Parts: sequence; structure tokens; C-alpha cells
Amino acid sequence: MQIFDYLTPLAMNIGVFIILAVSLNLINGMCGQFSLGHAGFWAVGAYTGAAYSVYFAPTALPDFINLFIACGIGFSCAALSGVIIGVPCLRLRGDYLAIATLGFGEIIRIVIMNMDVVGGPRGFTNIPHWSNIFWIYLWVLITIVFVANLLSGTHGRAIISIREDEIAAEAMGINTFKYKTLAFVIGAGFAGVAGALFAHAQQFLHPNGFTFMWSVIILLMIILGGLGSITGSVIGAVVLTILPELLRFMGETVSQWRMVIYSVLLILLMLLRPAGIFGKRELNILKLLGLKRESYHG
Amino acid sequence: MDSTHALKVDALTMRFGGLVAVEDFSLEMGATDLVGLIGPNGAGKTTIFNMITGMYVPSQGHVYLGKQEITGVRPANITQQGMARTFQNIRLFKDLTVLDNIRLAGHFRQKYGILSSIFHSPNFRAAEKELKKEALELLKIFKLEDKYMHLAKNLPYGEQRRLEIARALATKPKVLLLDEPAAGMNPNETKELTELIRWVRDHFQIAILLIEHDMSLVMDVCERIYVVDHGVEIAQGTPSEIQKNSKVIEAYLGTANEEGDKQ
Repeated sequence: MQIFDYLTPLAMNIGVFIILAVSLNLINGMCGQFSLGHAGFWAVGAYTGAAYSVYFAPTALPDFINLFIACGIGFSCAALSGVIIGVPCLRLRGDYLAIATLGFGEIIRIVIMNMDVVGGPRGFTNIPHWSNIFWIYLWVLITIVFVANLLSGTHGRAIISIREDEIAAEAMGINTFKYKTLAFVIGAGFAGVAGALFAHAQQFLHPNGFTFMWSVIILLMIILGGLGSITGSVIGAVVLTILPELLRFMGETVSQWRMVIYSVLLILLMLLRPAGIFGKRELNILKLLGLKRESYHG
Repeated sequence: MDSTHALKVDALTMRFGGLVAVEDFSLEMGATDLVGLIGPNGAGKTTIFNMITGMYVPSQGHVYLGKQEITGVRPANITQQGMARTFQNIRLFKDLTVLDNIRLAGHFRQKYGILSSIFHSPNFRAAEKELKKEALELLKIFKLEDKYMHLAKNLPYGEQRRLEIARALATKPKVLLLDEPAAGMNPNETKELTELIRWVRDHFQIAILLIEHDMSLVMDVCERIYVVDHGVEIAQGTPSEIQKNSKVIEAYLGTANEEGDKQ
């Protein structure tokens, strides 16, 4: 079926963006730290994961184990860069943090651009095609469960309290710097996983595929869905990945207006639903199915 | 000097550039004292609070919580060592439930790790159950248990004030600092609050230091009062002593001479 040749990569892209949106939402929506460097962490994960597969992956191991290791490496390297960037930057607040993370995101891209071992400006080629729908959506599930469960516990509450009122959180004995860094690092780590999966789906990476514009689009996804809602991030990622495809069907002229349409969409959203589609609410699938036994939310 | 003090403040000074906000302020409280800190607007009361709780690092002087020196320690660590505060302008976690507000105050005593909460381990379940139980018990004392699932921002003003005190107590402090707890309350609510503050002290056996403008509350509830004006302590003593103190009256009402001099 030819239609699947079109739909499968699209579905894989959606999965990658769900992971990116949910992980950015942990930083921006839950912890309230305005980060604009998510594409940078995505790039770190993509390039380190791909570098493992191209240069180090033992052929004796089955592909899916190698993919899993690549994702682990993507997570660790992105999380590590999250620590390196987060520790100095998270002392800043609001706009200043946004500008600093934006800068770091671009620095990561420029560094990759100048690394010949991963292709530099020529792009990184010959990455094995190991990602498929199953592995990508398994990671989507892992990300969502990880973030949701983290938030149901005391550490997650501490992260959310920083968004609500940082001074009060500090006065309640919560080490705010520690939890800001934690949210930042976990968010960066999962962006790295998204990168590794993306690399093994696309088989080709170019530094210009990770520009600042992508950080903005991921941010758009979580604002559209609702800052502070995991469900919202998922919906936002789905909508903003499918939308350009729909526009494509409407012909060349319409799809050239993509960014204009995004802007109009955003203005409409701000006017009609300033908190995003879901606000801070969640759609609890387990509750819907009657599977949830005990609620820790009260 | 009494060696069993709960809180001791020794010659605190705070300078903001050339402005001396507080100068040479000292204070000592026993384990169950109820002490008031009053003064006209801009006298430096909240600055003193902020120095004691670690929000500001004092330019000079020392703060001791029990025997431990806490000068310049991070606010979170000071809270963990047994000091809690409320804020002049209520600072609840507005978009969280009443229960979550209280549970957050128990955060630093939680021992389970992040992995326990990711996998919802038995460890996590037990700790969360205990935390919820404790929180509900505390809410019951403050007559908020029926509203534990309400968002904090949806509570009426008086209940928000009560919740903030409850949240401070949930950190299990030895010393509680209340910054204008009666601000914006009507006389009836203030009266209830007076009872509540006294009851909290007796029930939890803690020391309470409060800033307040409402003289009826201060005179009623405090055993000892410190008066500051322009960042300097001008008087201390029992409520009746303070009421008769000429310097205090002067600070609040001004002097007759001042007017006369101008003419």
C-alpha cells in the first residue's frame, strides 16, 4: 500500500514530537522555567545516538538492542549537556533564561556544524534505519509514564511548586535550584531520546535541521496544548505535525503561508483560550477505563 | 542570657546601598514565647523577618535557631532546621489543591527517591499515604478538611490566611514567623485569629514571632513586644508597658512639638 509509505514516516515524526513536547512541558509548563533551547538537546541526542550506531555499534547485537543503547546514549549526553547548560542558566529568571538557553541551543548547533567526524556541514549520513513505529511509540509511552509518575510524587510536586511561587517553595524547605535543575535535566534527556529515535528514522542528519525555529515550534506545541498538561502536549504535537501536511494538500501557495497560518492560529488561541486547549487539566486514560485503583492526587 | 532560647537575633544590620534599613536589632525568644514586632510602615519589620528567614543576607549580625547559627543559610535549609513563615501578601501555591499545599510543606522530610516515584514502589505508596494522612489531620485542626480538593485560589480570604499558617506548621517548625496575619481581616476574623494563634502556640508548643498592625491583636496575644522605628528598636516590654511608652506613642502619632516648631 503506497499510502503507508507516506503515513508511516508521518506517524514516526508525530511520536518524536510527542516526546519533545512532553519533555519541554516538564521544563516550561511544570517547572515554569522558560527554556528555548530544546532543539539543541534534540540535536545532541540525535548526533550522539547516531554516532554510536555508525561508529561503535557491535553488529553482533540485534538492531533493537543497539537502538536501545543509542537512545540511552542520547539520553545521557543530552542530560549531561542539560546539566552543563542548566547549572549556570537556571540562576536566571524569565526572559533572561529564555535568551541564555536560546544561545546555548544555537551554540550546540554551531559546534556540531564544525565537527567533521559527524559530517559537519555536509550532514551525517549512513545512519542505520532501526527506528520503527513500535520502538518510537514505546518510548512515547515510557516518556509519558515517567513524567506523569514523577509528577504524582513529592519530587514532582516540588517541581510544580516552583512554577506556582518560587519564594514560597523556598520558604517551605524546597531546594528550588535542585528541582529546577532536575526538571531541566530530565527534560533535556528525553529530548535526547527523541533525537536518537529521529536519527534512526531519518537516516540523515543536518545541523540546520535543529535550528532555533524548531525550539519555537516545540514551544508552540505545548502552548497550544496547554502549558502544564501532558495530554495537551500530546495533542499539540499531533496537531502541529499534521497541520503542515494538511496544508501541503491544499497546494503550494497555501503551504508557503504555513508560518502565517501558525501565527494566526496562535493569535486566535490567545484570544479564545489563553491557557491552551487543555489548560493544566489532564485526560486520565486509566481513570476513563476504570483501571485506576488509588489516586495519590487526593 | 538564657541559654534555652528558640531564636536569638544578635545585632542585625541591613544596608541597601547607602540606606540603612535595619540597624543593630537584637531579639531573643524562649521555646514557647509569643512575641510581637510592631512599628510604623516602613520601619523595617519585614526586612527583619527576611533576614531571620534567610531571604536577605544581613550586612552585619548573627541569627541563631536554637544553638545553630543560621546567618546567611539558604531559606530552604533554615526551614528544614525548624523555622517557618507566612507572608504579608499571601503566597500560597494558588493553582494547587489545599492538600497539595500542605503536602509540599512535608516535602523535605520525604525519604523515597525519584525512582520510587517513577515506579510507584511500595515505599512510595506507604510514604504518600502517610503524608496524606498527616496533611488531612492538620487540615482538620484548621477546619479546612472538607475543602482539601479545592484549589487554594478559590478559598475565601480568611481561609487562605488559615491555610498559609497550616502550611507553615506542616513543616513542623520550632519557631513560627507570621507576617501580618490579620491584614485585610474584619474584626470578627481577627478575633478568631487571635484565638487561633494562642491555641497554635499551646498545642504545638512552639515559639511565635509576629508582625502586626492590628493593635487589638498584638496587645491581646503577645507576651512581649518589640517596637522598631526607622530600623532601630525604640522599645520592648509587655503590652501594657508598650502602651504607656512615650517613644512608642511618639513614633506612631508624632509629637505636638513638631507641629509647633514649624509654625
